[in-house]
Amino acid sequence: MVKPTKGVLSIASIAALGVLAACGTTSTPTSSSAGATGIAGCHGTITVASDMPLTGGDATDGPFPAYAAQLAVTQANANKLMGGCTLKYISKDDSTVLKNGHDPAQGAANITALAADPTVMGVVGPFNSSVALSEIPVASRNHLALISPANTNPCLTAVVAVCSDPTIAINTASLYPGPHTYFRVIASDVQQSEIDAYVAYSVLKAHTIYVFDDQEAYGRGLALLFMKYYKADGGSVVGSVSLPGATTTFSTQLSVAQSKGAQAIFFGGTTGNGCGLVRRDMGSAGMNIPLLGGDGCEDQLFITNANSGAKTSEANGSYATSAPDVTKLASSATFFSQYAAAYASLPAPYNNGTKEPYTAYGYDAMNILLHAINSVLVGNGGQPPSSSQTFRDDVVAALRQTSYDGALGHTTFDANGDTTNTGFTLYKVTNGAWVGVNTYAVDTSGNVSVKS
Amino acid sequence: MSDQSGTPGAAPGGTGGRTGAVTLVDQGNLGPRTSEGSSFFGAVTPIFRFLYSLISKNFGALLLALIVLSIFGTFLQGGATLMGNQIKNALVLGAIYALVAIGYTMVYGIIELINFAHGDVFTVSGFYAIFIANTLHLNSLATSSFGGLLLALAIVFPLSMIAAGLTGMAIEFVAYRRLRDAPRLAPLITAIGVSFLIEGVMLVREGPDYVTTGQASWINGTAFTIGKVAVGYTDLFVVGTALLLMFALGAFVQRTRLGKAMRSTAQDRTAALLCGIDINRTISATFFIGSALAAAAAVIYSINYGDVKWNIGFRLGIIAFTAAVLGGIGNIVGAGVGGFLIGLIYVFGGSLIGGAWSEALIFAILVLILTFRPVGLFGVEVTTRA
Amino acid sequence: MSENGQPVVAIAADTTTVTDKVIDLRAIDVYYGRVQALIGVSLEVRQGEIVALIGSNGAGKTTTLRTISGLISPRKGQVLLFGKAIQGVGAAQIARLGVGHAPEGRRLFARMTVRENLDMGAYSRGDRAGIRTDLERVYTLFPRLRERDSQLAGSLSGGEQQMVAIGRALMSAPKVLLLDEPSLGLAPILVDAIFEVIREINAKGTTILLIEQNALLALKTAVRGYVLENGAVALAGPSEELIASPDIQRAYLGM
Repeated sequence: MVKPTKGVLSIASIAALGVLAACGTTSTPTSSSAGATGIAGCHGTITVASDMPLTGGDATDGPFPAYAAQLAVTQANANKLMGGCTLKYISKDDSTVLKNGHDPAQGAANITALAADPTVMGVVGPFNSSVALSEIPVASRNHLALISPANTNPCLTAVVAVCSDPTIAINTASLYPGPHTYFRVIASDVQQSEIDAYVAYSVLKAHTIYVFDDQEAYGRGLALLFMKYYKADGGSVVGSVSLPGATTTFSTQLSVAQSKGAQAIFFGGTTGNGCGLVRRDMGSAGMNIPLLGGDGCEDQLFITNANSGAKTSEANGSYATSAPDVTKLASSATFFSQYAAAYASLPAPYNNGTKEPYTAYGYDAMNILLHAINSVLVGNGGQPPSSSQTFRDDVVAALRQTSYDGALGHTTFDANGDTTNTGFTLYKVTNGAWVGVNTYAVDTSGNVSVKS
Repeated sequence: MSDQSGTPGAAPGGTGGRTGAVTLVDQGNLGPRTSEGSSFFGAVTPIFRFLYSLISKNFGALLLALIVLSIFGTFLQGGATLMGNQIKNALVLGAIYALVAIGYTMVYGIIELINFAHGDVFTVSGFYAIFIANTLHLNSLATSSFGGLLLALAIVFPLSMIAAGLTGMAIEFVAYRRLRDAPRLAPLITAIGVSFLIEGVMLVREGPDYVTTGQASWINGTAFTIGKVAVGYTDLFVVGTALLLMFALGAFVQRTRLGKAMRSTAQDRTAALLCGIDINRTISATFFIGSALAAAAAVIYSINYGDVKWNIGFRLGIIAFTAAVLGGIGNIVGAGVGGFLIGLIYVFGGSLIGGAWSEALIFAILVLILTFRPVGLFGVEVTTRA
Repeated sequence: MSENGQPVVAIAADTTTVTDKVIDLRAIDVYYGRVQALIGVSLEVRQGEIVALIGSNGAGKTTTLRTISGLISPRKGQVLLFGKAIQGVGAAQIARLGVGHAPEGRRLFARMTVRENLDMGAYSRGDRAGIRTDLERVYTLFPRLRERDSQLAGSLSGGEQQMVAIGRALMSAPKVLLLDEPSLGLAPILVDAIFEVIREINAKGTTILLIEQNALLALKTAVRGYVLENGAVALAGPSEELIASPDIQRAYLGM
């Protein structure tokens, strides 16, 4: 496997890509050309950055949104989105050898270094919620905009019921010593769990459920939120259990679930922590009820694990909600073809943006940042505000007004910086593969509806 | 001339002199603390001392009562079906713990080393079994007919066990032999190092995720149903094979020349030498057999669960070690029974008070054993040697 | 002394000048870590003899036996068994060469039966018939052991344990038997019985090297004796000479 390093995203490649991108920018949002004329006389340098885990165990995920963000910058340069000003891009890696992947301490160090550069106006990142916990306070203190393509932990932006659970223990208020400069273009687990509860109760028609979680912040948070919304929907939770990720057999708890008459099983957690094994053990216990999970379950490993037991097609009929399959959205088609053209020379899988769910999120996050900067320049007579801090504050203010049509569809942010573009697709294992069933959206009052 | 203070009051059937004979370790230094031996309890009031000795002497009975109570509690909670299902779950789990625990106890018995790498030998054996089954196309053989299944089992068990046995011997030869006369801490730390090394190699070779063994489909179907509890052929296979192996081991250690050499080496290495016993070979053989049993457990695990992962042996190993301590470290029968008891505690504890507490419960039991009954349930009579 | 105060039966052998040396220690130095336990000890045991090794506690008697049976290696000097150097050969191998050792403290396999202990003595033998004969012989020498053959060795009395220890050493059909304090902790009547058996064993042709706290008993049983003091041989000679020696009488015989 080729592990891209910071060097891959060099200035030289940006320049080369700029030519490529300039030939096919048909889908570049129209607002840019309107703004470009007024800011032709812009002076100075504006820097944007991305912060993703690029190496170690995260090398299969983080580079995709980083490449996508870089593509957005390349296209902006080709289109003179910043007029006469120079637009620079820095790629940061928050992985360390020590952690063999994302490292919150490295993330905080990266943001500290970027904030010290007065030309840096915003950062796309981070990828992992645990890194966000250490980066958000640094960004907030420095008034620096931070836009995540992939953080789903609800407690990063708002206090919800589960934040005080000992497994999660996030004090949201303490994350923001300065202004609230954090945004995300992906919906949080609050929306996901609302949709999960709706799916369990109204789609799968399970009125009693047994809930597993994997004792980790993501899984436990999702399970707690799920139980809250499921009960609100009228369902009855007959039992719940938190088991460590190393658990190898779930038959004891499944026997309990069986005896309590559960009509479905919910698993809050990741496949690596046992989602597929629960399905496997359901087969051994002869339980013919559905299993529902969150996005942590929707992967190939789930199918492998679920089918590893005596029943080799046990995975069939399992359900999981996950980020909408953006490759199916009409709005993303142009982006993915541009990505493929721009990065054709990269080794597989990095030459294909559809190989990772968050690629398009990285692209839209950077474009939203660039357009916010553009709108500040336009509003300031085509010039950057005199002080760096004012500039950064103005960028954050402009981000709040975002109304952007990109690869993901239409994005706006609510008061907490969360996207209002909330969709989750329900997937079902059919003939040994995850197949999208329906995409659901949830409105601010918690009503779930079919989106597509 | 013998002090029978170590004879457990509640040890289930047949723990007379013969049980002691299968014990590999001198537990003289592990005897229940008497009042003058324990400064802490000795210092407290006589009531505490009385309570301590009461618990210490009746530890087995108390534990058994606790298990019976929790089984009854499960019955109240979910009826006979839940109770039956959980007993089945506990026996399947306990069988695997028991086989792994025997490896710990044999090695401790003969060289007084907690072989931390033993759990990892279990994991490695799981991968050996996958390799053997895939190379020899046993999966299609085993699912073709009943005769094919027997043939596949007759191939995969001995080959995995031999491979694991040789691995165990190699570990002893490379890592422990030179340290045999070193202070105890040195081989213990080496054992932890070997464990990390094996896990690291497996992580790199096999990846971080569960690997499908492909053996879960070898045996399936329901053998019979008691009430609403369906007992599968796999369940019978797991428990039956484990019991068979344990009895075979018992007979081996009790009756054969090598078995007697192992027992005598465990009891007195110098005397064994004077009898002309080759100590190195005997210790090698002990590692071979202990590791082979771990391999048998791994094959059973592969067939029952269908997944192995680079680090599954770690937790399983520690729980199995607790089973060995519960039974009386060094005591083979104790390890077998301890494995099943730990299976019961794990499952019924998990069923009653929530699975999150299962492992905490196991280690709480470990602490209680070490406090009240360091020789374990089946500990041997502490013999005064003149 | 009781009725066994007779002169040693086997003395006749000495007159026929036995030349083949079963055990021949040549100026051995033995160390425990940095502490020197034996200093240039030379000693020989000839075919058919009973030789006694006497001396106070810590003089190096047990160490001498441990060196012969290979439990410890000399740093200097030679250990010859039937004329062949065996230092560094390893205890298990030496046992197979015909050295039976009933060690200090008996060292029985406490959680094995009497019978199993005796069987372990014959561990390296393959001749089933010979083993059966020797088992019968041990049971004849020690009828108590036959009665207790399925009892755990750890549950026996001290005297019985000593019988098992000697019996176990005999089960290897040794050419030479090393006995370390066979009388330790035994009632006087048992001491006599044990020494009676030792003489019987010797009469059947087994050479014996004996350590014994009771120097008079030892010297009366043996044909020759060695006196160890502080790790070195202080005196050596025929038993009668040693018994007659005023130094020995003062130091070891309490006369």
